[in-house]
Amino acid sequence: MSTKAPSAPAQVQTSSPQWLQALLLLAPAGIWLALLLVIPTLLIFQLSLVPDIKPGDIVNPSGLDNYLRIFQPDVLKVIGRSLLFAIGTTLLCLLMGFPVAYWIALLSPKRWRNLLLLAFVLPLWTSSLLRSYAWISILRPTGVLNTLLTSLHLPTLDLLNRSPAVLIGMTYSLLPYMVLILYASLEKLDRRFLEAAADLGATPPQAFWKVTVPQTLPGIAAGSLLVFITGLGDFINPELLGGTSSMTAARLIYNQFLGATQNWGFGSALSMVLILAVSLAIALLIKYGDKNASSL
Amino acid sequence: MNHMADFLTRSLHASRSRRRFLQTSIAGLSSMALSSCGWTLAKVQTDQVRRGAADELHIYTWSNYVDQDLIDAFRSQTGIKVISDVFDSNEMMLATFQAGKAGTYSIIYPSDYKVSQMVQLGYLSELDHSRLDGLRNILPRFQQSVHDPGNRFSVPVSWGTTGLIYNSEKLTEPPTDWDYLWKHKDKLTRRLTLMDDFREVMGATLRSLGYSYNATDPQQIKQAYEKLQELKPAITTFTTDAWRDQLLAGDLTIAMGYSADAVNVMNQNPKLKYVIPASGTSLWSDTMVIPKTAPNPEAAYAWMDFMLEPDVAARVTERLFFATPNEAAFNQLPDNLKNNVTLFPPHNLLDRSETLAPLDKPILELYEKYWTKLTSS
Amino acid sequence: MQAPSKNPIRISWQALFSVLMFGFMYLPILVLGFYSFNQSPNSAQWGGFTLSWYVKFFNDSRILSALSDSLKVAFCAVGISAIIGTLMAVGLARYKFPGKQLYQGVSYLPLIIPDIAIAVSTLVFLAVIAVPLSLWTIVAAHTVFCLSYVAFVVSTRLVNLNPHLEEAAQDLGATPYQSLVMVLLPELMPAIVSGCLLAFVLSMDDFLISSFTAGGGATTLPMEIFSRIRTSVKPDINALSVVLMVTSGAVALIAETIRYRSEKKRLQ
Repeated sequence: MSTKAPSAPAQVQTSSPQWLQALLLLAPAGIWLALLLVIPTLLIFQLSLVPDIKPGDIVNPSGLDNYLRIFQPDVLKVIGRSLLFAIGTTLLCLLMGFPVAYWIALLSPKRWRNLLLLAFVLPLWTSSLLRSYAWISILRPTGVLNTLLTSLHLPTLDLLNRSPAVLIGMTYSLLPYMVLILYASLEKLDRRFLEAAADLGATPPQAFWKVTVPQTLPGIAAGSLLVFITGLGDFINPELLGGTSSMTAARLIYNQFLGATQNWGFGSALSMVLILAVSLAIALLIKYGDKNASSL
Repeated sequence: MNHMADFLTRSLHASRSRRRFLQTSIAGLSSMALSSCGWTLAKVQTDQVRRGAADELHIYTWSNYVDQDLIDAFRSQTGIKVISDVFDSNEMMLATFQAGKAGTYSIIYPSDYKVSQMVQLGYLSELDHSRLDGLRNILPRFQQSVHDPGNRFSVPVSWGTTGLIYNSEKLTEPPTDWDYLWKHKDKLTRRLTLMDDFREVMGATLRSLGYSYNATDPQQIKQAYEKLQELKPAITTFTTDAWRDQLLAGDLTIAMGYSADAVNVMNQNPKLKYVIPASGTSLWSDTMVIPKTAPNPEAAYAWMDFMLEPDVAARVTERLFFATPNEAAFNQLPDNLKNNVTLFPPHNLLDRSETLAPLDKPILELYEKYWTKLTSS
Repeated sequence: MQAPSKNPIRISWQALFSVLMFGFMYLPILVLGFYSFNQSPNSAQWGGFTLSWYVKFFNDSRILSALSDSLKVAFCAVGISAIIGTLMAVGLARYKFPGKQLYQGVSYLPLIIPDIAIAVSTLVFLAVIAVPLSLWTIVAAHTVFCLSYVAFVVSTRLVNLNPHLEEAAQDLGATPYQSLVMVLLPELMPAIVSGCLLAFVLSMDDFLISSFTAGGGATTLPMEIFSRIRTSVKPDINALSVVLMVTSGAVALIAETIRYRSEKKRLQ
């Protein structure tokens, strides 16, 4: 598919020079972004090359020690855990989100659709910290879930401060995004294809896999990407729900700056790795998405 | 919020521009790396003081040290409004301070061993004793602390021990020492929290191995790390404060915590008990200091003076349960508090305990390294 | 999965599953509501109805001052972003210039880079140039991502805009400035408002970037909530969450209604 920046409205005749107008429009945001986004990113890149640095030290790049430290087993484990959480959340969101989006977009009564979608994503408008906090109350050993299980004479579940709680919390926070994106692409689904498939004798599962899924693939990819990259950088859910056994990259970075063990260089290196991982995910998807789009 | 969807679908199509963008930024980053000019990172600017409003005092303290009653009492006496923020370990406090995020605080509450480090780093201003009349009420042993002899930089405000708080209903055999945690690890699994403070946790483990809280031998530190690693699967979280609620609710059986917090929860649930481990524990004392960056030293002195008043110190001890080092205040306390062994442990219980000492940079980094390893695994 | 049925009220397994998922989405909110009226703060058992947590919450000066800090940050950051973000979107749609793709790429970065990385790099930058941290450093940092969102939403609208409108205005003798303010701006208003709303919600919800760039004494609501969850100074948090949820739910409903109406109008 060919790519195009938003096409410019027809060029206008101007009284003041074009470049001045462009400058006036673009400079304020440009300066802001350069100052508070580009330069800072370059700074942490440089900082990531300084081993064992704390505030007050002189920054003199002297090697890749911080990056080498990332390859130590304990740090690799942390990165692997972050990846697993992100992938697990993506899969759960897809599994749970697709039927919901499908139902709202195609099966529910038409005039309810907007309202249903809004109702589903409404929890997004509330504080994410408070939502995680609510899960603490639910999953605690003496929380809502276990009180319920006990009253039903079922064995209790010990989920809080372990990986399951983190997965539940992350899935809960990101599911609405997945549903939004899937809904947008399911809504555009051309139903005539489905009808044609049925006319040609395709069973519903066949029609689903041969028509619905391929047609909504861009939505599936976009939703998965969003959930994956947001999940990869998530701090709140692992921190509040994860306990001792779920140190993730974001938590480790946080600790290098505002926690007990200060090491700004190592924290910067980890941040660079996180940025790299996210860019890689996007690049991979673009490559894959391009191929896919051109084959259509 | 539908635009989120638009954005992603669209960004997937804008592939060429993005690829080019990635290339450009990678080129930019590598050129940056090659230029290796040295610059200084975040020096705490002790010579640059920001002036704050004269009637506002920002305090950086531990949770539960300052409550609304105290703030109100101070305000009615001096007209100064107090705003307090909390930290949960000395290391975190110093990290925040060094990151330049503490410029508004005129009073900070570090523990004694952190005071000497902060003095060394040149962060604290020397106190003018002529403005702190109440200092003479402080017990002699707190006036002659090894970390700040003669209280030149700090005013002691509370002291206590670190120990284990447990639910006596759930533990038939009461714990007596740190070793209990390892021996009964299976029974305590996921019903146990340790503090989020590597000096305290590593120190307690070192002590249970028969070493000092302030061990500097790398071999001993490593041993402590390995021992903790054994216990790790049983630990729910590392938390200095959040265990209080969880223990009260019954989510926990045992927690490591400060004696002041222990008295607090024991008052709410008498079945909770506190024990000072037999092999020894850390004897801590928290102080008030004025950083050189203090925007409002006048108010800071007013606060210190206020907190040194025997009356105030006694009321605070009654309300928030931290042991006062103020002799005149102690004498005002009701007998049940005076005789509370958790709050004011008798000397024979303390002869095996130690105070934490500042560590040299390489040793401290070793502690940090093992702590990061422990919490990451 | 079944092909779409012609009968709208047929119960499919998707419908049942969706009901379950709606339950999942609202369970935490209901639980917070339950606790906020529950007399016994630490247990899941019902200890009797009370409004005392709400009373406590409305008298809690720390929470109220955190709320006002959050609002200050959000209004300032969104206000700045509304202006420079819109300008940027218009500029990007209108002009071709060398380095445009780089500019465009950078402008979308805040939507992609994880918050923690943005937070860290901003802290390092502020430390290097030795700017004392305060409430205003939070505003500066929030503006970065707010302006990205505003520009993004506005540029979506710009794509669908009739390009001849402005041209016509200028043919009729309007200066570029006049045509921008009198023709383009009204057309873009719905997009600007909805972009600002999105940015506002994100700014109010941000924890990481605020906590890295806040100076002592500047505490936003998420920072206060986080510190309370960590130190367990509760339980009026439950009351706070219910109040916040009801408020933001109402705002969301109003915003969506306005958006829905304006879209309907445009289509007619």
